[in-house]
Formats: sequence, C-alpha cells, structure tokens
Amino acid sequence: MKIKVFFSILCCKLTRSILRLLGRGGTAFPGRVALKLCPDVLGTLSNGVRTILITGTNGKTTSARMIEQAFLDENLSYLANKSGANLISGITAEFAMHSTLSGKPKCQYAVIECDEAASKTVLKYLKPEIIVATNVFRDQLDRYGEITHTLNNIIEGVRGTPESLLCLNADCSLIASIPDEVPNPVVRFGVDVPLEPGDTAELSDAPHCIRCKTEYVYDYRTYGHLGGFRCPKCGYRREAPQYTVTAVRALDADSSDITMTIGGERVELHINLPAVYNIYNAAGAAAALSSFGFSTDVIARALASFDCGFGRMEKFDLEGTPGRMMLVKNPAGCNQVMRYLSGLTEDAVFAVCLNDRDADGTDISWIWDADFERLCTMGDRLKQILVSGVRADELRLRLKYAGLDESRVQVFYDYGALIDAMCQSEHPVFIMPTYTAMLDLRARLQKRLGGKEFWE
Amino acid sequence: MSKPTLRICYLYPDLLNLYGDRGNILCMRRRLEWRGLAAEITEAPAGSKANFADCDLIFIGGGQDFEQEVLLSDLKAGKGGELKAAIQDGKTVLAICGGYQMLGAYYQTWDGLRCDFIGAVDFYTVGSKERMIGNFAFECLPESGGSTVVGFENHSGKTYLGPGVSPLGRVLAGGGNNGEDGFEGVRYRNVFGTYSHGPILPKNPQLCDFILQTALGERYPELTLQPLDDAAETAAHDAMAKRLLG
Repeated sequence: MKIKVFFSILCCKLTRSILRLLGRGGTAFPGRVALKLCPDVLGTLSNGVRTILITGTNGKTTSARMIEQAFLDENLSYLANKSGANLISGITAEFAMHSTLSGKPKCQYAVIECDEAASKTVLKYLKPEIIVATNVFRDQLDRYGEITHTLNNIIEGVRGTPESLLCLNADCSLIASIPDEVPNPVVRFGVDVPLEPGDTAELSDAPHCIRCKTEYVYDYRTYGHLGGFRCPKCGYRREAPQYTVTAVRALDADSSDITMTIGGERVELHINLPAVYNIYNAAGAAAALSSFGFSTDVIARALASFDCGFGRMEKFDLEGTPGRMMLVKNPAGCNQVMRYLSGLTEDAVFAVCLNDRDADGTDISWIWDADFERLCTMGDRLKQILVSGVRADELRLRLKYAGLDESRVQVFYDYGALIDAMCQSEHPVFIMPTYTAMLDLRARLQKRLGGKEFWE
Repeated sequence: MSKPTLRICYLYPDLLNLYGDRGNILCMRRRLEWRGLAAEITEAPAGSKANFADCDLIFIGGGQDFEQEVLLSDLKAGKGGELKAAIQDGKTVLAICGGYQMLGAYYQTWDGLRCDFIGAVDFYTVGSKERMIGNFAFECLPESGGSTVVGFENHSGKTYLGPGVSPLGRVLAGGGNNGEDGFEGVRYRNVFGTYSHGPILPKNPQLCDFILQTALGERYPELTLQPLDDAAETAAHDAMAKRLLG
C-alpha cells in the first residue's frame, strides 16, 4: 500500500515537472497519472490538512481567491488549486505537489475549489473542515442534465463527509435544502436586502418548491432565483443567516462597499471587485473564514485586497486600452455580467467570445435565455460589440434578435484580428468569453502583451 | 384598420423553458414585426385558464423531469383535453422536446413505468438508458416546407410514430426521433413537433416563416409573408450545417 502511494506521488511529480519543462501548464494530467496508480491517494495526501472546499455553479474561483487571501496575509502555509483544475485529477495533483514522497503533507491548510459534479467523487477521499456551497444555477445541461441533478451531486458528496461544517447560501432555495438530506453542522450566509429592486425580467432557474413543487413567493429578490423565498404551501423558506449582508452602501465600477453582520458583530467591508454577484462571494468567504477562526479584521483586509481569479474581472492593458475579462458560462452568470456592464457610466466596447467545446458546454441554447436585451438600454454608450469564438455566427444572431443595431456588431473568425481590434479601441474593452475561449484568448494576449502564465 | 396580428399562446412558460425556448417566441415576434405585422403573446402557466380558441398558434417548449408532475396534473385538470380539441380543429402548434412528447399517447420509462400523456397525436415515447445529445440536422418533408434544419437534441426518450401521422423530416445527422428509423419530429394537421431546441427557429428562418404562414393562414388567407434580409440567420445556419454535413 505504502509503495503504491509512493509511486503514485512520484509519477505525479515527475509528469508535472516534465510538462513544465516542455512549457506546458498541465495541471490535470499528472493527477490522472497518480489516480491511475493509486485511486485513493487523495485520502492519504489530504489527511491532516485543514481544508476549506468551495463548490457550486457560480463564484467558486472568486470565493476561493478571497478565502486564500486571508491565509496569505496571515503567513499560513497553504495549498490551493488556483488555475481552475477543479476535478479530482487537478485537486489530487495539487495535494501531491505539496507532499513528501511518502504522502506526508507539507502544508497545514488547503483552499480547494471543486467542480459541483466532481464533488461526489472528491469528497469520498477529501474531508474538508468547511464546505462552502455558493449556489446552483442551470449550467451545461448537456453534461449535467437537470438542475436538481447538480444539487444531488453535491448532496451525495456531502454524505461522504458528515462532520464537515456546511457553509450554505441561505438565499438559494436549492442549496438551502441540503440540510434536509444530511446530518452535518450548518452555518448560513446571505443578503438581507434586494440588490436591484423590480427586476423580474430574468428567468428563475428554480421557481418551484424543492420540497412540494408549489411556486415560491418572494419577499425580495437579489438576482436569479436568489432572495427571500418561501413556499406558501409547505412552509419551506429561507432561514435567517448568521452571516448576512444588511446594506449595500456603494456599487462602483471597480469595487463595492457593504455592511455585514458577522457573528453578531456589525462590520463595514470593502470588496475589491465590482458587481452584485461578488457580494455573495464575499459573504460566503466571510462566513467560511469566520467559522474557521479568522478575526473580522483579517476578513476585512482579505476582501479589500485579494487578487481576482483569472478571467474573473481580470484587468489587462491592451497596448494602452484598458481591458477587463469576465468569464461567462451560463445564463445566471451572464445576466450578472451584463447587469454590471449596463450600469457603467463610461462609453465602452464589448467583446463576446462563444465556444461550444466540452468544457464550455456543447449546447449553446443558453445564450437565448440570457438577457442580452439589457445591453440595448445602454444606447450610445455601447460603441461596438466584437463577436468571436467557434459559435460567433450564433452570437451575432442572438444580438440581432435582442434588438442591437447590427452595424455596431462586428464578427471576427480569427483571434489575431480580434485582439488587434481590441487594442485599437478608443474605449475600454470588456471581454466576455466562455471557458475555453478565455483560455485561448488569455494565451494569445499573454503572448502579445506579456504577463503571468495561468498556472502560476 | 389595425395591422394583422398573430396571437401566440405560450403554454407553460413557467415549466417548459429550459433550452432557450424564449428565443423561439422572440424570433416569431421579431420576424412579424420586421414585416409590419404584430404578435400578441399570451402566457398560459400552470394553474391558469388557457383560451386556445382565441389564439392562432400554440407554442410548447422543453423542460425538466422535476416539474413534470405539476405539468401532468395541470393537463389533467383541463388543458390537456382543450389542447387536444384545438389540435383537432387545425390549430397551429409548435412543440419542442418535452412539449413534443407530451402530445403523444404516453411515455414509458426504460424500466417499464408508463406515464400517460394527452394522446392528441398518434405516437408514443419509450425511455432508453443512453441519451441522444448533440447538434443535429434534418430535412423537412415537402409538406413542411422542405428546408434543411439544424438544431441541438438532448433526449433519452425514443419516439415512434403511428400510421396516421408523418414525420417532420428526415435525419441528415444525429439521432432524431429514435436513432433507428431515420425520421425526426412529427407533422399532424398543423402540429409541428420536434426534438430540436437550440432554439430551433432563429437559425432556421425558412421553417419559422413556414410555421408563421401556416398560423396566419387561418385568419388572413390573403396574407403572404414578404422576404427579409436573413444574412445573419443564414450565416448561423450554414456554419452548423457545414460542420455537420460537410
């Protein structure tokens, strides 16, 4: 058994070194090698490592970055799967790289983001101290099937680790139902106030009660199906969270200011990222960090200073033109990004890149459920939309039917030409790529403009 | 005189809205408006009373299993019978995926459980263990306009048509009704049933116009839809057709 662990770790480390020497950033393949040699190696590697795991459809990477910042600020030795390698292979590789050859961990702590479908496998071996569940939205239905299927994957994972403290989004009726199914201890986070009143144009991904299928009534909504839900028939409702946002004091183009209650204490927080969905990420991170034992001072500093994840509101200097990249992957997330963009006060150019590879989801029908109509409200402030990616033609069509002026939409079948156009723009460029389009674009941008490798 | 108006009933927008079906409604509305016509869209969610007699076209989208019980009990409470009668009267219906299956006699799960549907059109569906998922293409039969349609299918049910109805088209790439007989969808009177979401209408403008023309024909027999500039539609259609058919 020990020999198996040894070879598994050795081969993982070796393949990763070889890949690095070849200039490749492979994070998942070395993990697959390790798992092939010893399928339960993750159990050994993570034994004794105090772990916070983040799962859910949207917000995993950003929440993980916020949490990580506190460990960084406190000079704690931790590991994290930064580059979005969030399946069992990537997570195993990350632990293997931070262990001795006998499988003894070199770090005391870990911050791990975990794909919601992979959580049922990962949590068989990894026993986190805290599991943060951000939300469940419809996403990649070609892969996951129904939205409740995604929730069930998370529940099945949690069943494997009944002692982990669950840190749940109280405002998501799907996530909030997890304690019905598992015995784990629970803390909740949420937002007590509507984030944009009167906005009902967005489709709800979960309009019907998870327990009895009656339509929910909302006391207030924040976005998507999140908010103060209650079922008029069976009484299932949002429970008051211990960690809660009581006021949003400012929503700026680059950051937000909120007031939160953390363990009964009123705290003013500055979030180093804009947009309302990041308020949820901050609330979840604050709840996890406080439950882990960090003080509110440390939490406040982490939220005010963390570095955003790649492609999550990431800033670029496009040869003098300011650029910002915001990953979009499902209607709920895309609606949030567009809500942010349509609230900008300056003139802007958007670049939208739609791919339909496996990691993006091969079914792109979701773009018709996303509220691109909202961009029309920007009027003349939206100078141009550059459209690209494998399914650029479909995106152009979506924009036509959304009512955008076709003369402002330009299609690029080639990323080189797209990047030229972005760099030549007189206005700030906001780039919205799907996952694989983001990887392609970042690689090209980095080659042209210089910058960090994504796996660093 | 007010301009000609197509009255669309969007059945179960609360339950059947999973795969971009809003796009089909939007597409019909825009293509009418661009021609100086109007669309009047009435939503008929579960629990409401639908008045099929007052509309020209009934649209039914695809959904997920979670809400199916709500849907079935609502159909039983009256809408099922009314829908069946409307179909017999020749009402134009566009039904996608789950909405398509619902018009048939029943759905039998792979382990033998049978769930009765409204039986408005002569076909039935049997669940299988593997799903048919992916982009696909079919060619409509001449009676449904004959155009080539590209879309996305995602279903584990295999649908078998009865003798009295014809398919919507012949599969060119992908699974279609059952992955066996080479047919896709159903055409019965003015019912157009298909597994294609994506959504189907925006990048298949010829099919969209054919369905609109069928629906308008009842009240405006003299009205002929004028051609539109379909450059963007054709580009999206052709890109997928080229990928699937070479």
